[in-house]
Amino acid sequence: MSYNYFLGCVIPGRLPFLEASARKAFEKIGMKVGDQANCSCCPDPTGVAQLDNESFLVLGARNLCLFEESNNNILSLCSGCSETLKTVKHILDNDNEKKKKINMKLKEIGRNYKGKVDVKHFAEALFENIEKIKKMVKKPLKDLKVAGHPGCHYLRPSEIINWDDPLNPQTLDKLIAAIGADPVDYTLKSDCCGNPLEKSDKDISLTMLEYKLQSMKEAGTDCIVCVCPACYQQFDFNQKEVNKNKNTDYNFPVFYITELIALALGIDEETLGLNFHRIKVKEILQKIS
Amino acid sequence: MGENLKRIMVIGGGIAGIQASLDLAERGIKVELIEKNACIGGRMAQLDKTFPTNDCSICILAPKLAECFRHSNITLHTLSEVKHLSGKLGNFTVKVLKKARYVKQDECINCGQCIEKCPMRVDDEFDMKLRKRRAIYIDYVQGVPSIMTIDRENCLFFTKNACRICEKVCEKQAIDFDQKDEEIELNVGSIIVATGYDIFDPKSLESLGYGRYVNVVTALEFERLICASGPLGGHLKRPSDKNDPKKLAFINCVGSRDIKNNPYCSSCCCMYTTKEAMIAYEHDNEIDTSIFYIDLRAAGKGFREYIQRGKDQYSIKYIKGKVAKIIEDDQRNPVIIYEDINTSQVKQLKFDLVILATTMIPKKDAGKLAKILGIEISDLNFFKVNSYQPQKSSKEGIFLCGACREPMDIPNSVTDASGAAAKAAEAVMRG
Amino acid sequence: MQMVDFVFRNELIKEDFSLNYCYQCGTCSSTCPVALITNGEYNPRKIIEQSLLGFKDLLLKDQTPNVWLCCTCQMCVEECPQNVFLTEIFEAIKNRIVLLGEPYPETYKAQAKSVLENGLAIPLTQPIIRRRDQLGLPNVKSANIEEITKLLETTNFKVKIKFLEESK
Repeated sequence: MSYNYFLGCVIPGRLPFLEASARKAFEKIGMKVGDQANCSCCPDPTGVAQLDNESFLVLGARNLCLFEESNNNILSLCSGCSETLKTVKHILDNDNEKKKKINMKLKEIGRNYKGKVDVKHFAEALFENIEKIKKMVKKPLKDLKVAGHPGCHYLRPSEIINWDDPLNPQTLDKLIAAIGADPVDYTLKSDCCGNPLEKSDKDISLTMLEYKLQSMKEAGTDCIVCVCPACYQQFDFNQKEVNKNKNTDYNFPVFYITELIALALGIDEETLGLNFHRIKVKEILQKIS
Repeated sequence: MGENLKRIMVIGGGIAGIQASLDLAERGIKVELIEKNACIGGRMAQLDKTFPTNDCSICILAPKLAECFRHSNITLHTLSEVKHLSGKLGNFTVKVLKKARYVKQDECINCGQCIEKCPMRVDDEFDMKLRKRRAIYIDYVQGVPSIMTIDRENCLFFTKNACRICEKVCEKQAIDFDQKDEEIELNVGSIIVATGYDIFDPKSLESLGYGRYVNVVTALEFERLICASGPLGGHLKRPSDKNDPKKLAFINCVGSRDIKNNPYCSSCCCMYTTKEAMIAYEHDNEIDTSIFYIDLRAAGKGFREYIQRGKDQYSIKYIKGKVAKIIEDDQRNPVIIYEDINTSQVKQLKFDLVILATTMIPKKDAGKLAKILGIEISDLNFFKVNSYQPQKSSKEGIFLCGACREPMDIPNSVTDASGAAAKAAEAVMRG
Repeated sequence: MQMVDFVFRNELIKEDFSLNYCYQCGTCSSTCPVALITNGEYNPRKIIEQSLLGFKDLLLKDQTPNVWLCCTCQMCVEECPQNVFLTEIFEAIKNRIVLLGEPYPETYKAQAKSVLENGLAIPLTQPIIRRRDQLGLPNVKSANIEEITKLLETTNFKVKIKFLEESK
């Protein structure tokens, strides 16, 4: 079965340039991914899920149904969305009672969840194509020290996500190495960036970010790479905030892995919208050209 | 049934196997004691002291080892493994592979000249790989039988047809490279399995950093570090910089009581971490020790008082709170992150040395032995016991004792062994 | 003095049976980044302890520890030796806080409102649509809002989160 994108809310609505690099990267490696109309918020596992579990399940199930009806698997561009959809799928596939209950509500809008679609995080698909990517590299990002930040919802809880090692993740670093860059080995790699706490306590959120930045700095980092728009926001928007509060001077450029892959595969950087990043990436682009 | 069937095989020469053998021998039953390693003694020989008396372990063990060697009713087969079993209770036929020692048993006087000259260095398993032994070696200084053994996988003569220095320097001409492995057949009436345990490797517990942080060690490694016959000669130094550690942390339940690893309680850790903290304090009473626990399980006789002594006389701090995360500062000091459950505070605390009390797990090759003997394995991979008679295995005539059937301490292993010996003897006398 | 509320406790256990397995070892608080930063003021083990003891008021009214400080990193879930699904239990607690109309951080309500009114947490604005055009991105139709409204009526979502608006 082929894949359609699940774009989520943050990327199309706030960081469309991340979408651009993803589409271009997948196109370049020859993976055809279509679009799915009619999607709603996944819903946010750090948002709606906390307010009402039932609403979380029906919204998630409805999204799964859309893909089922169009006979496509889900390729999510966001870790939050992929966690939500994998969780909803896991719950409904393993609990017949709940599935019945949710389907009764879906019936009101003429839909029915069967459990036929597969949910994949976009980095899973990239990793599965890693050999192809390696061969297609035109401009290896030599000597670029990249601190990979896998994030939390990309890895855990491992029983549901079922992908990389939840405490010692490898896949993102391998992708970084595949495009010729140096994946930095820093101590707090599997730690949370703190983004979800923006809703409840900005101070703690920034402290968690600071710890990550410190660890990356100590290990010698040129730039940071993410696979989740929430993490991307935290790193790209809030280094300034950390500097204000803690008197530091962090200024690491932040990329989505698809942006670095696109650059390494020779895609024209003008088409990637890199000028929309808040922290300027010019230096990095000069370093790798 | 003839005389030779008043003969029982004991597989495993640790404290349980030794006790069972001595019990049987004393009642006039012939014992074939089979031991995989070059010397008997097992885990108890690796310990510095034993709880709750804090007696020197080897001092209690050595007389029993000597007795096993000398007793007219015990035949000691070291470097030996059971390969095949047939028959039934009263009449088992066991094929045992005796590996060649390459040293003449009657000539070697354990003088150590060969060890001095041997050029090969091999990880010393007895010392938990904390130092190197030679290719010709004795498991440990007080090992019984008191003879050298050549490790043919690492000996230059066997691997490259070179060297032979040991042969040249041996005054008793005890080296014999022509010895061959031997397969012998033994007829016995019943069998006791006492093969002991391995320890869980905490490397798989990413968040504790064992293997990455050199100042995080396992409890058995710590025993060797503080033992007078160990790699540091009994002067505790920490692995990274050889400084005297002043602040020690002991972490209980590492890999135990854990559905993801070993769901059971390892039964001894609460006691032996107290013991190790006491010994450390005896070595240097400036040493500050803390034990991090979930529950303090000290159920045996005198055990609760032992813990109290630890608090009162050895200044041991007991902190309720399982440690699940260790990091390292730039001086290679391990930093523990923990919750002190009594105060609900979560904090970081720096130590010089951290000791992990890891789970006692079944021996790696327990499954293989079980297949050979035709006995069942439980779902935790220990040998399966009869619920009402825990020294009985699933096969008539084969008995179990010691840590190979469930984690247990030395006092329990000894009583377990006597129990199994009585049962095995009964089975044989019946005929 | 706290009273054990057995009904509340059993409700929570029914919603997530793994709550029963906790033996209060402290592994979760040891691995929790927020617990360390707040010196144990935010404390996952304590929240589970209060759930086991059915301390309804502490959890739902006083909210000490403040369950909304969980960053959902799932380290506790990953490391728990008894496979207690802490974050799921925290969600059950938060759902009840919302239902009861007790106070909780504003930003959650704002996002919920957007989902109710737009079907999306972040609706597409004109500047963004222009930027998407600039980048050559397709115009992907988002959810039919009538359908979302109808669906969320089946779960009473509007009523559940409206509580906070009414209590203001």
